[in-house]
Amino acid sequence: MRNRTGLLEGLVALALLALPVQGMAQTLGVPVIKVGVQGVASGSHADYGRQIMMGATMALEEINAAGGILGTKLEMKFMDDENKPAVGVKNARYLVTEWGAHFMYGTDSSGVAMAMGPVLAELKRIHFFTHAATHRLTEELVAGKGIQEIVRVSVPVYQDAVTAAMIFKDRPEIKRWATIGADYEYGYSTWNLFKDTLKKYRPDVEFVAAAWAPFWTMDFSPHIAAVMAAKPDAILATPWAGEAVMLLRQALLQGVFDQVGAWWQAMGGSVDVLEGITKEVQDNKFKGKLWATARYIHNWPDTPENRAFVERFQKRWGRLPNYSAETTYSALYITKAAVEKARSLETAKVVEAMKGMQIMTPGGQRAFRSEDHQFVYTVPAGRVVWDPKYPIAVLGDLRVVPAKDYYRYPPFTPVAVTR
Amino acid sequence: MDSKGGEAANRRPWHALFGGLASPLGWALAALALLLAFLPFLAGRYPLYLAIQILILSVFSLGFNLLFGYTGLLSFGQAGFYAVGSYACAKILLATPSLLLGLLGGLVAAGTTAVVLGVLCIRHTRVYFSMLTLAFGMMIYSVAWKWRDVTGGDDGLVGIPRAPLEVPPLFSLSLASMERYYYVVLLCAGLAIWLMYRLVHSPLGLALQAIRDSETRAAFAGIPVARYRLIAFTIAGLYAGLAGALLPPLENTVTPPIAHWSHSAEPVLATLLGGINAFAGPVVGAFLLFMLKDIIVRYTEYWLIVLGVIVVVLVMGFRGGVVSILAEAVHRRARRDRRGEGETEGIRRSGNGLGE
Amino acid sequence: MDTIAYQGLIGLSLAMYLWLLSAGLTIIFGVLGVLNFAHGSLFMVGAYLAFTFYGLVGFPFWLAIALSMLGVGLLGLVMERWFLRHLYHLDHAYQLLLTFGFILILDDAVKMIWGGVFKIPQIPRFLDGAWPLFGRRFPVYNAFIIGVGVLVAVGLWWLFERTWWGRTVRATASEREMANALGINVPGVFSGVFAVGSMLAALGGALGTPVRVVAPGIGAAMIIQAFTITVIGGLGSLKGAFIGSLIVGILGAYATLYFPAFELAFLFIVMALVLMLRPQGLVAR
Repeated sequence: MRNRTGLLEGLVALALLALPVQGMAQTLGVPVIKVGVQGVASGSHADYGRQIMMGATMALEEINAAGGILGTKLEMKFMDDENKPAVGVKNARYLVTEWGAHFMYGTDSSGVAMAMGPVLAELKRIHFFTHAATHRLTEELVAGKGIQEIVRVSVPVYQDAVTAAMIFKDRPEIKRWATIGADYEYGYSTWNLFKDTLKKYRPDVEFVAAAWAPFWTMDFSPHIAAVMAAKPDAILATPWAGEAVMLLRQALLQGVFDQVGAWWQAMGGSVDVLEGITKEVQDNKFKGKLWATARYIHNWPDTPENRAFVERFQKRWGRLPNYSAETTYSALYITKAAVEKARSLETAKVVEAMKGMQIMTPGGQRAFRSEDHQFVYTVPAGRVVWDPKYPIAVLGDLRVVPAKDYYRYPPFTPVAVTR
Repeated sequence: MDSKGGEAANRRPWHALFGGLASPLGWALAALALLLAFLPFLAGRYPLYLAIQILILSVFSLGFNLLFGYTGLLSFGQAGFYAVGSYACAKILLATPSLLLGLLGGLVAAGTTAVVLGVLCIRHTRVYFSMLTLAFGMMIYSVAWKWRDVTGGDDGLVGIPRAPLEVPPLFSLSLASMERYYYVVLLCAGLAIWLMYRLVHSPLGLALQAIRDSETRAAFAGIPVARYRLIAFTIAGLYAGLAGALLPPLENTVTPPIAHWSHSAEPVLATLLGGINAFAGPVVGAFLLFMLKDIIVRYTEYWLIVLGVIVVVLVMGFRGGVVSILAEAVHRRARRDRRGEGETEGIRRSGNGLGE
Repeated sequence: MDTIAYQGLIGLSLAMYLWLLSAGLTIIFGVLGVLNFAHGSLFMVGAYLAFTFYGLVGFPFWLAIALSMLGVGLLGLVMERWFLRHLYHLDHAYQLLLTFGFILILDDAVKMIWGGVFKIPQIPRFLDGAWPLFGRRFPVYNAFIIGVGVLVAVGLWWLFERTWWGRTVRATASEREMANALGINVPGVFSGVFAVGSMLAALGGALGTPVRVVAPGIGAAMIIQAFTITVIGGLGSLKGAFIGSLIVGILGAYATLYFPAFELAFLFIVMALVLMLRPQGLVAR
């Protein structure tokens, strides 16, 4: 089968040579650039896979309409990784060895990302990670093990944990912290990173309670009750997507927002969560105490680039872009920039081309860090508020902490990943 | 399968092997063997990868069916032993990269676990047995998920090397390439299949079927029911452990979902698809199940409903699975004179089936 | 002390969801001898239907629940009458396998009809709020669930102990052939029981919609718990299922408070222990 493809490629190249405008196609030597995309497509976290697909599709359509990358158009295939490492790895193998993907994007789960890392090195294809947040992906697999094929375009768990510490260090009345945590690595890392960072600025804080909820927890009542028994001043919560909506609803029922001073919902700025709690925000049930961040929010930065992106996205899909949509969208544009600079699809050359790259994206200026292949950019945090300008609740009263102030830098000291 | 079929099976092994297919079978098997032997040269890396996964699932399902099809015990916890084999092999490979040690370690760990849990499980039958195996399987899952220090928790164990096949003083064969590892898996699977074949046609195999058909009668005939059940359970556990141990070098990662009951359902589905009553049922079913899912997900995300419909259709109408469908077709064409069509009516139960 | 009481009450409300799910499962197993793997999927469909009638169409909450129960009851009837019934003469394994096939079908069907993203409607006004209790605020919703659970327990007791239909069902359950010989329409009883069990599952799912998300797979998450409860209580015993639910729900709530490490395994350890030491369950029949 490979031989026939080679022959076909040759014929296509010959045919294209006849058209002067298409001469560029020879630069890359393929008739089409194949991009493989993976995300969670079902269950209470299904929106993230959908948004990844939506962001990728829009970028692809735009790039193709403008002539593709170096004259070569893109073709996309989306697969459901079911939030399972085994499936994600199998899909990756299929996409590269069978379908012929040149680049891959996506993946929500940190577990899937960690499993994929070594396989990417074997397959020799770059995967742009656009959601999975574990610091270990870049700190251990790239900086530690030197796997070149990993590139992360979204903010890692530093955003969830360190930003919170940076904001709440300036609230002297909040001394007692508790967590309702996701009972897997993401939850543990976030809580530990938060504690470590906050303690540095505020030696007076105490961490009074912790309740852990595994995947598929439907009822957080016992966790909320357990944590509230310790009378905390503030709560840090890491369950995300549908679970975050449930958690917040159930917390409201127990009157939590009358008792605490603040509630930090790590990925509360995500579109599906905001949609789910809009009514409560309109009724001011959270009493201005709900804080959140995300890996991109549609209402920041207020640049023409971002506003145009949001408008195009809404027109195309009828919804506001979630962070996983923007990160995947940007990842495709990053690919374009890198391939144009390298004038090749070869992994090593493309990675080389990304070194020192600074690129303007809807989420702001992103800068590539060679030490851990992380694209660094800033995302604000804020209170969840109702602004009539938007159809759903948004983050307002924004606090912008520059990424350089809260990102971790090599050499990386390990964070405890136990609870 | 009544005793007459059993005797006949001993005289004509091919018939038992494929539930009654005639001698074109010999050719079919030879062709298959050739295909498998030369697969790396005929297919690309992804089909090869699929083939390895199918072989692993075949071994897993074969062990399962010894327990289910031949002994009449439906276990929903086989994934637990698979996981034990997987994690044990992974830990060994991370410490000393020797494939043989890893496989051996996986086998021993899974077998031991099976004996211990088996003693607790086989005193019960039917629903209670199924529920108990489900419980134990999920317990292993929670241990894998929670015991971060040993199992890596939800992240699992990563960076497991595809260790070389070595016997230190004599030779060391690198298995870095997928092709080489495929041959190792093929060899292991082949051995496992051959061993199972000998087993089910041995007196032990017949005794297990007798126990399945009527526990009271078997006991009356002097068969130590509990002990034989335990043996079957342990062997099933060993097969699951072997299948599990073959996984880490392939994927370089081991994560908790391999212990989840939804993974235990795979050999069940594979065997149902292929045919509970045929020796080759689990193997044929493993191939079908894998290919079905792999092909369907390329076109639609709704592969569960397709699989579900197939399961319902099979259970309602074709309980002998694909193998029996094929066998029937060949049957009719050869116009063989066979007494009764009992072979395809599911697991046979004598009397009122109250073997508890 | 307050903390313990409060946590216990929360656990009680959790137990009631489990009770609704286990009750249906128990009834079906006790009478038909079938362990309905698809029970969790019926729970999920109940949630989806309730969401549709209440959240999308706009019916009052109680009507949405009733309609959802009817719908799932019908679905259960179809499953029993046209599929399960043909397998009674075979080994139990086939019945298990069939219901497993239904799980696969239903899980994808809800995805196809309602989409893969989670749904959550608004909480009904009259159930929003909390009562001061033990120095904290106890949600009205949780109290409501406890009330419904107790009502169902009483209702089922009355149904099986005091009505003609209930007695017929019990007779059929313990002596199938004799009941047949006496002229009882055994297949009809089976279908009826399966429908009732399905409706209970739907009730459980429907009641949860305003406070829990409705998403594919929510049934699978709960069915394992329901299994363990039915086993702990004693397969086929409603009283056992009720007690089992209480144990799992309340102890689970305390585990969250005091022993977070054990949550996951705890359930299965208890189930395994009961199966090994007292396989007929905690409540002797």
